[in-house]
Amino acid sequence: MSVDLARETYRGLSPAEFFYRNKEIAGFSNPARALYQTIRELVENALDATELHGILPDIKIFVDVVDPGKNIVKVRVEDNGIGVPKEEVPKVFGMVFYGSKYKIRQSRGVFGLGVKMAVLYAQITTGKPVYVKSSTIDSKEIYEFEVMIDVINNRPIVLSHRSYRKDNQWHGTVVELTIEGNWSYAKKRIEEYIKRTALITPYANIYFKGPDIELAFTRATRRIPKPPREGLPHPKGVDIEMLKQMIAMTEENLSLRDFLIKYFDGVGKISAETFLKWAGFNPEQSIKTLTLEQLDELARKMREYSGWKRPKDISLSPLGEELLRRGIEEVLKPEFIATVTRKPSSYIGNPFVVETAIAWGGKIPPSEKPILYRFANKIPLLYDEGADVTRKIVDSIDWSVYKVKFPAPLLVVVHICSTKIPFKGVGKEAIAEVPELEEEIEAALRECARKLRMYITKKEKELELALKRVTFMKYLPEVASALSYITGKDRAHIERNLIDILEAKLRGS
Amino acid sequence: MNKRDEALRRLEEFALKLLEQIENKQPPYMEIPSRTLSNTVWDPERKMLLLGPAKFRRELFDMKEARKFMQTVLMLKLLVQAIREGVYPTIRDLYYHGKHTIEFIDHLGRKQKENTWDEQTESNAVLQDIEVATGLLREEMGISADVKGKMVGPIIVRSRGYEIDCTRMGEGAFGLPPNPDDLEIVKIEATYVLCVEKDAIFQRLNREEFWKRENCILITAKGMPDRATRRMLRRLWEEYKLPVYILTDADPYGWYIYSVYKSGSIALSYESERLACPGAKFIGLTTSDIIEYRISDEYVIAATDRDIKRATELMKYPWFQSPHWQKELKLFLKLKKKVEIEALSTHGFKFLHDYIIDKIHHGKFID
Repeated sequence: MSVDLARETYRGLSPAEFFYRNKEIAGFSNPARALYQTIRELVENALDATELHGILPDIKIFVDVVDPGKNIVKVRVEDNGIGVPKEEVPKVFGMVFYGSKYKIRQSRGVFGLGVKMAVLYAQITTGKPVYVKSSTIDSKEIYEFEVMIDVINNRPIVLSHRSYRKDNQWHGTVVELTIEGNWSYAKKRIEEYIKRTALITPYANIYFKGPDIELAFTRATRRIPKPPREGLPHPKGVDIEMLKQMIAMTEENLSLRDFLIKYFDGVGKISAETFLKWAGFNPEQSIKTLTLEQLDELARKMREYSGWKRPKDISLSPLGEELLRRGIEEVLKPEFIATVTRKPSSYIGNPFVVETAIAWGGKIPPSEKPILYRFANKIPLLYDEGADVTRKIVDSIDWSVYKVKFPAPLLVVVHICSTKIPFKGVGKEAIAEVPELEEEIEAALRECARKLRMYITKKEKELELALKRVTFMKYLPEVASALSYITGKDRAHIERNLIDILEAKLRGS
Repeated sequence: MNKRDEALRRLEEFALKLLEQIENKQPPYMEIPSRTLSNTVWDPERKMLLLGPAKFRRELFDMKEARKFMQTVLMLKLLVQAIREGVYPTIRDLYYHGKHTIEFIDHLGRKQKENTWDEQTESNAVLQDIEVATGLLREEMGISADVKGKMVGPIIVRSRGYEIDCTRMGEGAFGLPPNPDDLEIVKIEATYVLCVEKDAIFQRLNREEFWKRENCILITAKGMPDRATRRMLRRLWEEYKLPVYILTDADPYGWYIYSVYKSGSIALSYESERLACPGAKFIGLTTSDIIEYRISDEYVIAATDRDIKRATELMKYPWFQSPHWQKELKLFLKLKKKVEIEALSTHGFKFLHDYIIDKIHHGKFID
């Protein structure tokens, strides 16, 4: 059968080989995009290695053009994170599907694939291994590795390794990759990416040095949002593949009821039994005896059932209104900021939180429509803005209701936190149209916009008063001098009186 | 000169009222009768267009009125200054003399400039405001203006001490001064006043000594009447009870000129009290004259669309509501024909005299 054959072929392909063949999917389609993507992967790992563990991030990024003729670029990212245990380094950097992120919680990368893609990309474009230097907090030594990936067998190849005693408290990771990359084409995006990353992580020090650019963002606060805790998947979010994997990974022989209670979010004895009865399953049936048809039916019923509790949001870590404000202040230097962090919500079992901000005036340049900064789980999204649901919502709002007349210095920030961001397509740069999410984004934006309107109204009143004062003041000397000529009364005296009357009137209005 | 002193006193009074408000720490304001169409009313008793009772407040501390308040006070000062210095500026002089640059700092701290006024229409407007607010006309304040009016006939006037006998003008005529009130009328022997629309007709009647034959005063404003001519006519009618007859072309434009002499104009209704001459009678030409005096076709002109439109408007004016005028206007709209005064030559050059005499002595006029 052709279907079986295809499955066979797929199985025969190692994950490393699969990604090697499909590098466009992961964002390595051309030298400019690949450079941007490499920096992204390394910076996001660096941030996860720090803030998820309560460490104030201190991140340095260096880009050097090694061979301008051949577009060979060296990328180096340093962090002060928890470090990678020595024995794990080869696998973490040299084996696809190996990492620490196979849990349900909000983090930047979803499968920890990105770094390996970058390593693979370096390997195919320059033939250079990844250089890693690391040390964990309680490690007594610092260790360095040069690793490559055995693509066919999906295994790390350690080219060199050395360890030495640690004389200081340093912990963290340094990763260096030499890739084919186009700096001049990627420069603007990378600059924008670093800037937006600084905005969404106001508690981080971020230093960037490129061939012809240097950016330094100093942390605006020492507060880190509470790190997300690990959570269980919500029953409404399952599919048959997920169920199969979960059952395969479960070593004990559990009953259906106990399986639901143990491995799903918000499911207790009563809710498990009520559901199974409703779905027509025997609560005592062993999970290992479920047929493919039964699994399919179970997954479908779990999605359909409306009696589940709302997913818990412990696994989410939004920035919060105050930190978002600090980040925007520091990076954008606007005249006015409104921030809103909404209460957690969910779509098909996936908890999410929307937070938005509106920045107005100051250093924000006027534009014909709102400038949009999109973030998903603290990752700036720079590509495919036109396809993003956020852009659609921002453009559908009649801003004149909020006293905004374009061109206006208006910048909108939308940050979506979720255990599963509903991306559109494989590029992971645009958010898809999910009604629950759209509602939350629009509500948050309108709340910010109302605050903006209040601010603009206040400013208008101030301006009106200032204009009034100027208008009246400019005529007073003329009026005083004419009346003085006609009546013989002292000019200065008349003018003083007029000013007094004006001030009293302006105070009254 | 006494009259001008009186004007000065009233202008000063106006300023003192403003000063008093300021001394009392009140936002200064002035009350000005509205010079709008809606505030122009027809007084059927007095047969005049008059300014209605509506007034508006011009406040210094009102965004919309502040600039005009400043301009009004500035104009007030210029008028007072002219009287005090014994000069007779024109309205253009006032515009130039009052125009200067105000420098100020705007709300963003930038240096800015603004002219007290940019166009003469602005200074003219506040002058009119002062006229209506104080009840003083510019002539009384000694403001010079272009005067088109002239007259001849049995009248002797004194101007600046010089006596002028209007029977001794040769082929010329006496040019009216800007303010005919300054003329002292020494002697009048005329039996009536004939006011003609056109200068050419005035010259003909003068050179043909029509006024001598009829013992009348001949006067013209060369088209649309100016203030001086209207005031002179008014004085002759009011002070010397002379009958006043108006002669114009037979078209809506001529008829409107007649109505301005008689009742006043919409734009200057506040002056009617002093300038209108309700006793003025219209001796022609009318549309029915074309038939009655058998004016031959060569002299008859087809009415234009504008003439038709204008006549339709006239029909609606309260001061054209008499049956006689309505009949004439309807006839005009029906025939769509007009003629000039010169058309009377249809019966020979001398016929103009016969026509006027016929109309006046046989009472063939419209009141």
